[in-house]
Amino acid sequence: MFADEKLITVPFDVYRYDPAHGGEPRYQHYELRLAPHTPILTGLLRIRDEMDPTLTLRYSCRSAICGSCAMLVNSKSRLACHTPVGPEVKEHGRIVVDPMRNQPILRDLVVDQQPFWSRYEKMEPHLILDPKHPMPEGQTTAMSPAQVERFKETPRCISCAACFSACPAVEADPAFPGPMALAKLYRFVVDPRDTAQTHRLQKIQTEGLWLCLRCHLCTEACPKDVRPSERIRDLKELAVQAQGGTEAGSRHAIGFLHNIEERGTLNELKLVRQTSGIGGLAASLPQGVRIWRKKPELTQSPPPIEGLDQVKKIYSTLKDDKSEES
Amino acid sequence: MKLAYYPGCVAQESGRELDMATRWVCQALGIELVSFPSFSCCGSGFVDEANEVLNVALNARNLAIAEKAGLDLLTICSTCQGMLTLANLRLTDPKIRARVDAALTPLGIQYRGTTQVKHLLRVLTEDVGIEKIRAKVVRPLAGLKVGAFYGCHLLRPSDEMRWQTGEEPHAFEDLLAAVGADPVYYRGRVMCCGFPIQFVKPETASRIAGRQIDDAKAHGADAMATPCPLCHISLDAYQNQASKAVGHELNMPVFHLPQVVGLALGATPEQLGLPRHLVPTGPALAKIGTRAHA
Repeated sequence: MFADEKLITVPFDVYRYDPAHGGEPRYQHYELRLAPHTPILTGLLRIRDEMDPTLTLRYSCRSAICGSCAMLVNSKSRLACHTPVGPEVKEHGRIVVDPMRNQPILRDLVVDQQPFWSRYEKMEPHLILDPKHPMPEGQTTAMSPAQVERFKETPRCISCAACFSACPAVEADPAFPGPMALAKLYRFVVDPRDTAQTHRLQKIQTEGLWLCLRCHLCTEACPKDVRPSERIRDLKELAVQAQGGTEAGSRHAIGFLHNIEERGTLNELKLVRQTSGIGGLAASLPQGVRIWRKKPELTQSPPPIEGLDQVKKIYSTLKDDKSEES
Repeated sequence: MKLAYYPGCVAQESGRELDMATRWVCQALGIELVSFPSFSCCGSGFVDEANEVLNVALNARNLAIAEKAGLDLLTICSTCQGMLTLANLRLTDPKIRARVDAALTPLGIQYRGTTQVKHLLRVLTEDVGIEKIRAKVVRPLAGLKVGAFYGCHLLRPSDEMRWQTGEEPHAFEDLLAAVGADPVYYRGRVMCCGFPIQFVKPETASRIAGRQIDDAKAHGADAMATPCPLCHISLDAYQNQASKAVGHELNMPVFHLPQVVGLALGATPEQLGLPRHLVPTGPALAKIGTRAHA
């Protein structure tokens, strides 16, 4: 404890649930005197050691390396060993601890991580080297610093699943692989030694890439600054550049790109056609009419912006510029 | 106070009520809005997914327009706020900067990087100030329980937006309290509205929207309010779909941020464009003793 740091009272409300022995989920209240910088995990272990040996939680290294102790701290997905008690008590007056979201609860703070790992495994998270197309003679497999720079964040991932727990797309749709799985996939897509880039991009476009909401809740939750939402954005751009508009998601991104080029501003009605085609436009007609009754300008084309020629020139310079990838 | 007004596409098209309410509130508070018909769309996150550098260049052009006029830029959309702020940040990367300059310099556009991007929520709570707004309230929204719904890009990534925390902000609730409403705290207030995948998988988008509305309702909200017109589309214009997705009628009036402030400062529902909403705001207005013709 720092010399000038006073102990504070830390009220914990901890989720308790033991389905094997019956009973309903409940919160159990404990209070400890702790220095503000004390990690929440330390508090939970003191509760287990000194007050209640039945409290069940998963942990190992206590140093934000192993990724075992992710849980909800006042509703945020966090590593318990990496989150101090002081700021939480200051903001909320207490610390409510729950098991992670989006994974079935086994007991107390321990979840079944099967949904997290099974989606990760679908990404084929290993180098794919095609035996029919070996590395050309004399080509080294060593990477240049610039090539490594492109995936410098992802090796930091400790697979704690905090991002998976925080993700509203995972919560709403089992087809979404989750932030960590996609960030890891990105790492193999840009790895110059991997030979399956096309296969990986084609597969992921139909298997959930475009369900990312870019809400960045994963990036907030990540204790290692992997920034999964930004890696997913990178994957989307790679997919669009490599394969064009093959899916609703990529068609929407490309449609938006073209839409803005025409007038400098969004033509809402036309965008629906660009993304969904005439069939899609027809399918969305009832909803469109409903909105149009209140907002009739929906069907009017907006006037072009002043200086549209500048926008068009920016497009012509940068539309096909892929100098970053070289 | 004088600001370059960046209304964004939706407030000039299907979300015109947001533009109406913004102009009314800014006039009432002495904020001069300077319009620039040369502003282009911010790309809404979609252009960024198709071509990051092109998106930064489009926004550098927008930022340069405000810089040339010596004005900071006012946004009224969480997504515009996010995209323009990110453009400012990404321009500090020399590789991106070089490619953007290659497109802008031949057009005679020079952006030095001085334009600050400010969302209306921030201008109201920080530049105008909560106390000044509280002092101007003529119709306190007393008894109205309002769930703020922030919109992701106003908050996150929080290390880049450099404002409030990405998961536990309070500016909007502070403002709601200042105009006399009872702010409702619920998890969904910082979650996604589903809009980004409305055209990818509508049923999932609607399930997400429905979940947040249900959450606000479970915490007692009579109405929701959002600083983002894209969230407004999901929560209001598509609320019927959200109701279907969650299996029950939601009936949740959803205000735009300046509409809530405008009501408290004395605007009529018509001046704020409330009759344009898909979900009638009447039940919420009745709670504060006001009527809309909708």
